[in-house]
Amino acid sequence: MVGLSLGEKHFIQGGIDQNIRSDGRKRDTYRPISVETGVIPQANGSARIRIGATEVIASVKAELGRPDALQPDQGKVAIFVDCSPVAEPMFEGRGGEELSTELSVVLQHCLLGGKSGAGAGIDLSSLIVAEGKICWDLYIDGLVISSDGNLLDALGAAIKAALSNTGIPRVQVAAGALGDEQPEVDISDEEFLQFDTSGVPVIVTLTKVGRHYIVDATSEEESQMSSAVSVSINRKGHICGLSKRGSAGLDPSVISDMISVARHISEQLINKLDSEISAAEAGEDEM
Amino acid sequence: MLHSKTFNKKTRGGRIQKLVREVYLRDDIYCGASFCKSCEDKSKARLTAAASTILILDTNVVLNQIDLLENPAVEDVVLLSVVLQEVKNKNSAVYGRIRNLIDNPARRFVVFSNEFHRDTYVQTMAGESPNDRNDRAIRVASRWYQSHLGDAVKVLLITNDRENKRKATEEGVSAETIESYVKSLGQPALLDLLVQPASEDVIMEEVEDMRPSKRKVVYPEHKPMSEITSGLTKGIYHQGKIRVNRYNPFEAYVGSESIGDEIVIYGRGNMNRAFDGDVVAVELLPQDQWHEEKSLSIVDEEDDEEDVHLVPGSADDAPRTTDPVSSSTSDTSPVSSRPSGCVVGIIKRNWHSYCGSLEPMPMPAGSGSLVNALFVSKDRRIPKIRIQTRQLENLLDKRIIVAVDSWDRQSRYPSGHYVRSIGEIGDRDTETELVLIENDIDARPFSTQVLACLPPLPWSVSSEDLNKSNRIDLRHLHVFSVDPPGCKDIDDALHCTMLPTGNFEVGVHIADVTNFVHPGTPLDDEATQRGTSVYLVERRIDMLPKPLTEDICSLRADVERLAFSVIWEMTPEAEIISTKYTKSVIKSCAALSYVEAQARMDDSRLVDPVTKDLRNMNALAKIMRQRRIQRGALTLASAEVKFQIDTETHDPLDIGMYQIREANQMVEEFMLAANVSVAEKILKEFPACSLLRRHPTPTKEMLEPLLRTAAAVGLTLDFSSSKALADSLDRAVSDDPYFNKLIRIMATRCMTQAVYFCSGELSPPEFLHYGLAAPLYTHFTSPIRRYADVIVHRLLAASIGIYKLPTIFRDRPQLTSIADNLNYRHRNAQMASRGSVELHTLIYFRNRPTDTEARIVKMRSNGFIVFVPKFGIEGPVYLAPRGDKGGGEWFLDDQQQRIKKMDGSISYGILQAVKIHLEVVEPQPNRPKLQLTLV
Amino acid sequence: MEFVNPEGLRLDGRRPMEMRQLRAEIGAVAKADGSAVFEMGNTKVIAAVYGPREVQNRSQQINDQALVRCEYSMANFSTGDRRRKPKGDRRSTEISLVIRQTMEACILTHLMPRSQIDIYVQVLQADGGTRSACINAATLALADAGIPMRDLVTSCSAGYLNSTPLLDLNYVEDSAGGPDVTVGILPKLDKVTLLQMDAKLPIDIFENVMQLAAEGCKAIANYIREVLLENTKQLEYRRGL
Repeated sequence: MVGLSLGEKHFIQGGIDQNIRSDGRKRDTYRPISVETGVIPQANGSARIRIGATEVIASVKAELGRPDALQPDQGKVAIFVDCSPVAEPMFEGRGGEELSTELSVVLQHCLLGGKSGAGAGIDLSSLIVAEGKICWDLYIDGLVISSDGNLLDALGAAIKAALSNTGIPRVQVAAGALGDEQPEVDISDEEFLQFDTSGVPVIVTLTKVGRHYIVDATSEEESQMSSAVSVSINRKGHICGLSKRGSAGLDPSVISDMISVARHISEQLINKLDSEISAAEAGEDEM
Repeated sequence: MLHSKTFNKKTRGGRIQKLVREVYLRDDIYCGASFCKSCEDKSKARLTAAASTILILDTNVVLNQIDLLENPAVEDVVLLSVVLQEVKNKNSAVYGRIRNLIDNPARRFVVFSNEFHRDTYVQTMAGESPNDRNDRAIRVASRWYQSHLGDAVKVLLITNDRENKRKATEEGVSAETIESYVKSLGQPALLDLLVQPASEDVIMEEVEDMRPSKRKVVYPEHKPMSEITSGLTKGIYHQGKIRVNRYNPFEAYVGSESIGDEIVIYGRGNMNRAFDGDVVAVELLPQDQWHEEKSLSIVDEEDDEEDVHLVPGSADDAPRTTDPVSSSTSDTSPVSSRPSGCVVGIIKRNWHSYCGSLEPMPMPAGSGSLVNALFVSKDRRIPKIRIQTRQLENLLDKRIIVAVDSWDRQSRYPSGHYVRSIGEIGDRDTETELVLIENDIDARPFSTQVLACLPPLPWSVSSEDLNKSNRIDLRHLHVFSVDPPGCKDIDDALHCTMLPTGNFEVGVHIADVTNFVHPGTPLDDEATQRGTSVYLVERRIDMLPKPLTEDICSLRADVERLAFSVIWEMTPEAEIISTKYTKSVIKSCAALSYVEAQARMDDSRLVDPVTKDLRNMNALAKIMRQRRIQRGALTLASAEVKFQIDTETHDPLDIGMYQIREANQMVEEFMLAANVSVAEKILKEFPACSLLRRHPTPTKEMLEPLLRTAAAVGLTLDFSSSKALADSLDRAVSDDPYFNKLIRIMATRCMTQAVYFCSGELSPPEFLHYGLAAPLYTHFTSPIRRYADVIVHRLLAASIGIYKLPTIFRDRPQLTSIADNLNYRHRNAQMASRGSVELHTLIYFRNRPTDTEARIVKMRSNGFIVFVPKFGIEGPVYLAPRGDKGGGEWFLDDQQQRIKKMDGSISYGILQAVKIHLEVVEPQPNRPKLQLTLV
Repeated sequence: MEFVNPEGLRLDGRRPMEMRQLRAEIGAVAKADGSAVFEMGNTKVIAAVYGPREVQNRSQQINDQALVRCEYSMANFSTGDRRRKPKGDRRSTEISLVIRQTMEACILTHLMPRSQIDIYVQVLQADGGTRSACINAATLALADAGIPMRDLVTSCSAGYLNSTPLLDLNYVEDSAGGPDVTVGILPKLDKVTLLQMDAKLPIDIFENVMQLAAEGCKAIANYIREVLLENTKQLEYRRGL
């Protein structure tokens, strides 16, 4: 993807060692983040996040469906990521599939919890309409428009912003539905269910280059990484998910160290994100 | 400036879709006032400076008070686009009417597109319902209008919604209810047109009931729509159109596909306020409550009577009566019952205006006060309607039109309001107009735009006409026409020349109407709407203007005229060798009447060319007819009645059956042949968009009454094919000379109507015309009086390559809807003709009580229905006194179709001859009717 | 269904000869050689151009011309109903081909032999007229990438409903079942490079509708020129010229 000469590689590594990266940031600083919500009016919720040159759009669409037989009191959420060839010519055709799948899976782990649905960042029981029969299916789609490293963080932030922008119409179920059949639903145009996104975690990716780990790596820096750990942490500081990438092995103490760093950084990130999101929503309302 | 509106919609699959639509706001929407100083474009402005008040109407006012709005006293009205949109969604009939008002240049109604105007656009606030938002939009638009027009006029918002009125007054917009506005106009006659809102404020008083012992009827509530749709999908409710029995308004049938049979609804309570023609949801009653079939007595509830009416004519127009098929008797055999049900909800109302008169009632003390009156519609299937009026004494002896507004649960009758009067009851012209209104026939004179489409008179064939459309010159042929006496609109002419080979060249020439009537012109649009000419007893309501029908297109004698010709070469055995279709110019040498033609053929002394041609044609026609009968064509008896009208008073002088002579049959034969040939040609060229005519084969159920009657007199009829039926009918003879005719008349009644259809809609086996035993048929020979023929002319012209088919033919759904309209108009025209004849029958018998012979054609438990051959009418004869249901001392044997006196002394069987007395009586003032009694 | 009401207004308040609101932005994707976002009403499309660069697949290399490749994909959330398959379905393949052919006609490919130009178009929101929006966005992106072209290519669609020719159909009008004519022209040279139509239309009416679409294209061309001019001024300003 990125072709670097030997000199450039040394430069990057050296900068990281000295806590001054190629663009002047410290190791634990994020690039400027800008958030825009409501970019896709046709979706129930949407957001567009720019972290430096990385740009992603996330949209949330809600459809009515049947809940899983094993969990009749919960709705369903599905996350898909698509890498657009606009971001990289390499993503043309099926080239971006591998990356898309990887991102989707990691996001699912981080945000949705395990198979039983426990520990999900999103409260699934708020999606139920008629127990056992009708529930909301949320489809969260991410689209990578421009990729310059740190896609996971951007996607996580975008999903959080999109969820806070989501409004699901209130539905009334017609009474007297018998047995197995689908009862009639009536939608009301007026009321909306707004999601409570305070429990939605953000993802912080720490990339180990050389002996140090940096936050928010650009694609050049990512090409130099030995391994990366992505931690999803929510507002309370609890870890919602963890994923390690990269070929190098890590010492367990290093991992716990990375986690505490991530936790520390996530607080700032969450605050920054929240303020950006509310600014964006206010801006949208004004329009 | 761009805005967007977002809303959620539920799709059919049950999914919920979020829809986002753009809204562009404009600056170029003008207020429509000609005196406005700021608006630039005055082309559509109609509101004049003379107006003192400009009205802005609320949606409900438009929906409910449309009759009032059509009255010329209401002017200078602004209709907002938000109101129009809502009206369109709620009631398309009212929308059509308000659009007509807007388009009418004589009325001052203006449309203001407030939804797209920058200043009056209103965005939905959070938590606001769509109704509230629309009301707010109306208020904002009213306020804008007031500020825009300044002090020149007063802008008034008319709404009956109290909330809306209150808010409007708060915001500085003058608002009034429709009642107070009408009162302020100071025209009391208008107040009658007001519709009372069906709210709890107005207390409905019961009309003084004739039978005070009857309890107050309360109907079960209609179920809400959501429950009905869920019930339909689950199958506990069934949907269908309700048909009320003409002879018993408390009995109705709902044809349901889900059951496959018709559901019977008995009784007022079960009918639950449904009107004939509504689409209803029905719930089946438990099986033990299913009514057995009784052979129904002539029901006599609340002074509803059976009228004397005409017997239907030919196979082509036999109406399907709503008589139930009576099967088992009440006592003996076990039930073959039909499913019964009750109406639980009305899905689509079929309310419109009805004509009739008020029920006679004592005058209230003091005139001019508002009273409740009951309106009885001419159409017996409609229940009585309660209206309020101030002009009771004025209306009691008039025929009036009333529209229905609502039917409350607590109210025995629906509520309606008076629309207008037609004229006095019994007056021939009023009654005729009633017949026309009932059958939706437009008898107004042609508008100036229509008349402008005609070529200037006097008209004659020009050289230009000769050179267009590949016309061939047939002026040298001996063309002649044979029509009823006094016929001025001659649309067909014939010729028959012997060729040197011994074969005949026979030609059928039809008036070339499509040369003058072009698609897209007002003339054509008017003709499409009318669909057919209507033949009443004393006059004819034309589909096309008189100059066309009686002069320019009519193939009169000794003038050159344009025609569309079908020319065959056939052998003396009437085998067709070749057929040619072409436009032509002809010059008819004789316009004969049937009597004249017959006389000429019969007089062996005459040997002029025309007579010789007539005889040749007759011979050919006889062969063709025989062949048709071999194939199974049905000859059903036509009980057509003819009146001799006094030329001065236009009263009927004599009434008699129509005589059919050989000459009639000859012309008919060639017309049929022409129609068949044309059908073949257009179907070949345009298999997907031809207009054809079909007659479906009658099913066993339909023929059951006939079979039962025949069995009762020991006759078996074989209806496996039309030929078998025709043969059986031929064999049905007895000493009684009318026997055969009666059986044929009863057979006619069992047939369905022939209908027009678009060939792309059905498969070829379904094109069959049962009555004529023809695999293909269409109407080609009478374009002057039928619009279907005009369409077929265009198709034929396109198929021979001289005409380009207009785009409407490509659009199959539109063609089908045109065919449906033609069928509708055709049916109505026939019912109007029959109504007119019945009316004249009544007038004829008014001062001439007569005794004559009759035949029993149908049995009832308290009497029977007889057919009077001399006059061609049919009516009930009661054995037991009126009001005595169940027969009393008379007993009906349904199997044998005999009615016997209890002591066995007298009995009457079906098809038996009886002597009856015909007289016009007036049991109620202003309600004459023809009564038949046994002598 | 009434698409043009008797007052002469369409469902969204436009008159029959009016286009939807246009908005264009150049340089949305920093990483690409040229990129643009183009909006026609609610239809939003992003285009990115990578090239001219070395041909990735040697077998496809053309010795005297540049190879132009194009891919069209729609985002999952772009339409009202969520699409399962963003690319690879037949419609996307067809539109990719159409865009490629249209752009190939105007790029001066002989100036860049043995190289490859990739045009990627991503639909973010679809509300009728996606084909046209894609072509317009691609033109802008190519201009932003500095690739030599004969002329701009602009495209617009027109239809015929309720016996009125309508310019720039949105999704509701498009799904009405009436004819839909898409025209792509080179405005300065006044030549037609793309012409597509579905449904039936009599010939004389077709000429009117095509004329209308061509006029729409010219209006878009004016707008695009303005946007490019503005963009160039910005670049000058930033470079301190």
